[in-house]
Amino acid sequence: MTDAAPTVLEMRHITKRFPGTVANDDVSFDLRKGEVHALLGENGAGKSTLMNILYGLYHPDEGEIRIADKQVQLGSPSAAIEAGVGMVHQHFMLIPVMTVAENIVLGDEPRHADVFLDIGEANERVREISDRFGLAVDPKARIEDITVGQQQRVEILKALYRNADILVLDEPTAVLTPQESGELFGIVRGLTEQGKSIIFISHKLNEVTEIADRITVLRRGKMIDTIPAAGATEESLATLMVGREVTLRVDKNPSNPTDTLLEVRDLHVFDDRGIEKVRGISLDIRAGEIVGLAGIDGNGQTELIDAMTGLRRAASGTVTVSGEDVTTASAHGHFEAGLGHIPEDRQRRGLVLEFSIAENFALHDYQRTPDSRFGWLFPARLIERGARLIKEYDVRGGGPHTRAGGLSGGNQQKVVLAREIDRDPQALIAAQPTRGLDVGAIEFVHRRLVEERDEGRAILLVSLELDEVLSLSDRILVIYEGEIVGEFTPDATEEELGVAMTGGGRGEEAA
Amino acid sequence: MSDLDQPPVGAPVDPSGLGPEVRQPWLERYDVAAKAGGLVAPVLTALLAFAVGGLVVLITTGKNPLATYRAIFEGAGFNWFLPWVQGTERQAAAFNMQQTLIITTTLVLTGLAVAFAFRCGLFNIGGQGQYITGAIFAVWIGSSFEGLNPFIHVVFAAVAGALCGALWAGIAGILKATVGAHEVISTIMLNWIAIWIGVFLFGLGGPLQNDRQEFVPVSNDIVEGAKLPVFWGDPVFQGLHIGFFVAIAGLIIYWLILSRTTLGYGVKAVGFNPEAARYGGINVPRNYFLAMAISGAFAGVAGAMDILGWQFRLGQDTVQQATIAFVGIAVALLGRNTAIGVALAALLFGGLLTGTSTRNLDPEIFRPELASNLTLLIQGLVVLFVGADVIVLWLMSRVRRRKPA
Amino acid sequence: MTSIALPIAARAPRGLRAVAWIGIALGLIGCWIALPPITARSWVWSLVVCLIAVMLGIGVLIRGERRFGAFAIASGVLGFTVGYLATLSGVGKLETVVVWSALIASTLRFATPLVFAAIGGMFSERSGVTNIGLEGMMLIGAFFGILGADKFGTWWLGLLTAIAAGAVTALLHAVLSIHLRADQIIGGTAINFLALGLTGYLYIDIYGAEGTPTDISGIPSVNLGFLDSFSFFDVIFGDLNLMIWFAVILIPLSWVVLFKTPLGLRIRAVGEHPKAADTVGISVYGIRYGAVILSGMLAACGGAYLSIGFLNSFNENMTAGRGFIALAAVIFGNWRPFGAAAACLLFGFSSALAQRLPEYSDSAAVLFQALPYVLTLIAVAGGVGRSIPPAAVGRPYKKS
Repeated sequence: MTDAAPTVLEMRHITKRFPGTVANDDVSFDLRKGEVHALLGENGAGKSTLMNILYGLYHPDEGEIRIADKQVQLGSPSAAIEAGVGMVHQHFMLIPVMTVAENIVLGDEPRHADVFLDIGEANERVREISDRFGLAVDPKARIEDITVGQQQRVEILKALYRNADILVLDEPTAVLTPQESGELFGIVRGLTEQGKSIIFISHKLNEVTEIADRITVLRRGKMIDTIPAAGATEESLATLMVGREVTLRVDKNPSNPTDTLLEVRDLHVFDDRGIEKVRGISLDIRAGEIVGLAGIDGNGQTELIDAMTGLRRAASGTVTVSGEDVTTASAHGHFEAGLGHIPEDRQRRGLVLEFSIAENFALHDYQRTPDSRFGWLFPARLIERGARLIKEYDVRGGGPHTRAGGLSGGNQQKVVLAREIDRDPQALIAAQPTRGLDVGAIEFVHRRLVEERDEGRAILLVSLELDEVLSLSDRILVIYEGEIVGEFTPDATEEELGVAMTGGGRGEEAA
Repeated sequence: MSDLDQPPVGAPVDPSGLGPEVRQPWLERYDVAAKAGGLVAPVLTALLAFAVGGLVVLITTGKNPLATYRAIFEGAGFNWFLPWVQGTERQAAAFNMQQTLIITTTLVLTGLAVAFAFRCGLFNIGGQGQYITGAIFAVWIGSSFEGLNPFIHVVFAAVAGALCGALWAGIAGILKATVGAHEVISTIMLNWIAIWIGVFLFGLGGPLQNDRQEFVPVSNDIVEGAKLPVFWGDPVFQGLHIGFFVAIAGLIIYWLILSRTTLGYGVKAVGFNPEAARYGGINVPRNYFLAMAISGAFAGVAGAMDILGWQFRLGQDTVQQATIAFVGIAVALLGRNTAIGVALAALLFGGLLTGTSTRNLDPEIFRPELASNLTLLIQGLVVLFVGADVIVLWLMSRVRRRKPA
Repeated sequence: MTSIALPIAARAPRGLRAVAWIGIALGLIGCWIALPPITARSWVWSLVVCLIAVMLGIGVLIRGERRFGAFAIASGVLGFTVGYLATLSGVGKLETVVVWSALIASTLRFATPLVFAAIGGMFSERSGVTNIGLEGMMLIGAFFGILGADKFGTWWLGLLTAIAAGAVTALLHAVLSIHLRADQIIGGTAINFLALGLTGYLYIDIYGAEGTPTDISGIPSVNLGFLDSFSFFDVIFGDLNLMIWFAVILIPLSWVVLFKTPLGLRIRAVGEHPKAADTVGISVYGIRYGAVILSGMLAACGGAYLSIGFLNSFNENMTAGRGFIALAAVIFGNWRPFGAAAACLLFGFSSALAQRLPEYSDSAAVLFQALPYVLTLIAVAGGVGRSIPPAAVGRPYKKS
């Protein structure tokens, strides 16, 4: 790679606003022929927004895009394809029940007699391209029968079939095993040798330093810097990516843990597609401590929580809540055993948005006295508790009769929090308890969690926010690829955690 | 997590109801429409339907739709509410009103049958079958046990009708809960099965066919003791029977179940958000079954009330032509699945059906055979505009915008 | 570190299918032993054999092989039905009932309207739009078919009128479910009501109490003279309505369109993953509009066959739930043309049976009119778990 390589893409001063946030704030970005240019940033830093603008899915509020020195308007994916941009989405745009070749030629099919689909020709062309770029796939295989790594190759072939010169790979390794990632890197190098230019979106530091020629770092919608990969270390990148900003420290006393209240032994869990997402996790959470579970999204956190709360059956292993084995109990059984659960997605799962606040408080207990007796509900009692909890947890924006859907995100979360804590659980699982909340609400949730710890509850905090994990936890566990890969004390640095979270600490042995 | 599928964290949710990700778009939108409009949206929906129906009248017959609607209004006896209507005209109006309320009784119950399932996220299109099975059992019990205490007899027949309707709908509920069979297709099939069972039972030589009239495909008449007392009008000329109070009780029970019982809580939670219900520890399949069974019970009672209140017998042709339960769908949709809404919508459609019946509509103004199909048409338009609530909401926003100017 | 990819739940074992086949065979045997030449004189034998068939079917069904389990149950139910009736009536009558060739011809007649509607429904569902308005579209076709044939004087203009009316009705459903993103079930219900009201209204308005004229130009039958010497085939195929032959052609034709043309590929893609289709430049809305309108046109053809091909008259609500049966056939046939057509034949056979039996048996035979609906119920219950609908069916798509 020399500096003499021509620039194939320039995005200048791109700004994109969504109601309430600025997703991209004056971001400039350029791509040279034959290079791998990594786009690095945390979740929500604006990487995907920028690439969706490039692919014509979003329209920028300000700024211009130039491809091969010509200004272009990318109003739709078709226009982007026409301009030579191909995109491999993180969530594959593939049709599981169709074959590889059908997926690739869709929308631009070879025909015979102008009417019929020439599937033979399609298979032939796919084979030809896959040979040329070294992406071995069977054109006749069905997508649902091939591995995720092969599916990704199909996505790349889809772009190549449409003669893409600029290829955007959106978090391509997020769904891959380490071996598959290795193979992908080989493919990427092969593509650049044939003159393709690659934008590689990632938040895994180790792989960025391995594959990229240059690295652009985004943080909270702003472009921080573009640096050559040569000479960049994981530590220096982590600093750029996370920034040295004031973190929200929570005042708390040292913890004083006692009995183990929440215990997980060698748990294995599969996701809906039959992939093993939790691979032998054991945890002990004791009364009076907050254990933080740090990790990048999709490393098995969701499946772990589901299995621990009775929403998903574990393949093997046990879950125990204050001495009671609840591995095979229903969700209701878990709540009865003394577990509280603040779910990851409060709108989809945590609340019935159409119900009033008071009704939402009763979600677990409506069938028990004093909420009801012999099937007869006592709304007055619900409202009385609603009023009490609204006051106690400072829920603003309505009274007990207000629809939960009408509250702001922070107040919705307070409702969930109040419901779970008011049941006086022994153990509490808080999954992303502050996602999407404003600073005030975050502080409230944090303070409350610490108070509950001091009350003697065992708390498992699962979060993607390192700040949060560091400031709240008494112990920190790092999950990676469905396993616990490290335990840290709260004085660990973000860099140390970051390396563990990206598999950095054991990258060598995995490959 | 890519933000391709969702707006970035912090961005407010798209108010129009996010398209593909939303599990039950109609429920969400329904709620939005209900909250946004209160009484305005349903009234606007009905007006729109009547306007389009009037247009059809105008185009096909060249007659003034307003005159037609006025004739229907009077045929339905709604002029009874007007204090200046006096004398014989008032007597006629009272009689017409009684007929309207008889139909309203049935429509309230069949409307509740649809509405209750709706609250659990299910579309019970099989009210007809449940109504017929309820009617069959009511006529069977009502025509047997001569000499039984009238009160016990009536209660027995009505409860049997309710249970039968519950059972019939429960089949669809079980299929939905266990194998996930779509309730729309299964309830439609159950409708036809019920119809043919009825045709078989009351057909010539059938097990329940009339003992005395060998060549009439109809059931035995129910015994005097099983008939519901008439409290308004002349029993000889089909006055209003006390089934009317059963319908009112049905409305109260509906409201009580949904707002005062754990059962209603579970049903609503499943209807609004099955995923949250599951998270909360609620048994989702069980609620699907119960919601269908209770729905069916309402429709079954409707059938029983018609038999015990004014039909007194069930014929093959009645079984085949009973479309009253279908009107319940429009009633529930227009009534926004609330008790009071169902009551008002039932009165509207009850009036429409009575006012367009051969007996009540002046053929000089409009042919009654045509008018009854006009009712069907208006019913379809109501469902259409409820489905296309976007149109109604848009109209409402236009009206609102104009006001301040 | 081992690969994390594991095969999804293994496919149902082959043994189950074998058991299901035994069940299906037993059902047929149960029916066969009551018929000539064996003509068992007690229905108990038939019942025993068929009960075994049904139980095998249920057993297979709950173990996961739902489709074949349902087939076995259906076979058992059907077998006993026939067997029971056969033993009820005298041997002499029996030989008249079981004129197989006539029964087969009758099956084709009953299956034809279902096939049109089912193929139409299949296109709509494949593109991702649920169409429970098929019933209404059929009814519209039935009425406008006869209206057109009457007013224009020829059957083919009647057919064209029906197709045009079906297209307009379907367009309404398309606008509702695609652009207005209305709930597709409610939209379809509205279509059904409107069709019922509109056809009833116009029927009374135009034809009044006398009903449709008797001298309307009907869709002709195709007389295959060369079959005269083969009496069995002659009875079946010798004098079938033109529309039946169209239906026969339609089945492979729709298969070719759906699976062998770029258009079919796109329809399927839009129904499975509209966003994937959108990102490669396919117009999701365009494809859906086309498919829904096509479904309306085909359903209308089915309706027109009923009115001007089969009965030569129109009655209010004459489709009698056939649109819903067609929809069930689509589901049972796993959203494939031949599967759906096979299901239509099954339903058609039960209708033919139900129609022919009463002539020879007592009043109980009327119960067998319910047979197609019972079979449909079983089909929906058994077919759903195993059938895999297009992934995006019923969900409105919103462009970003």
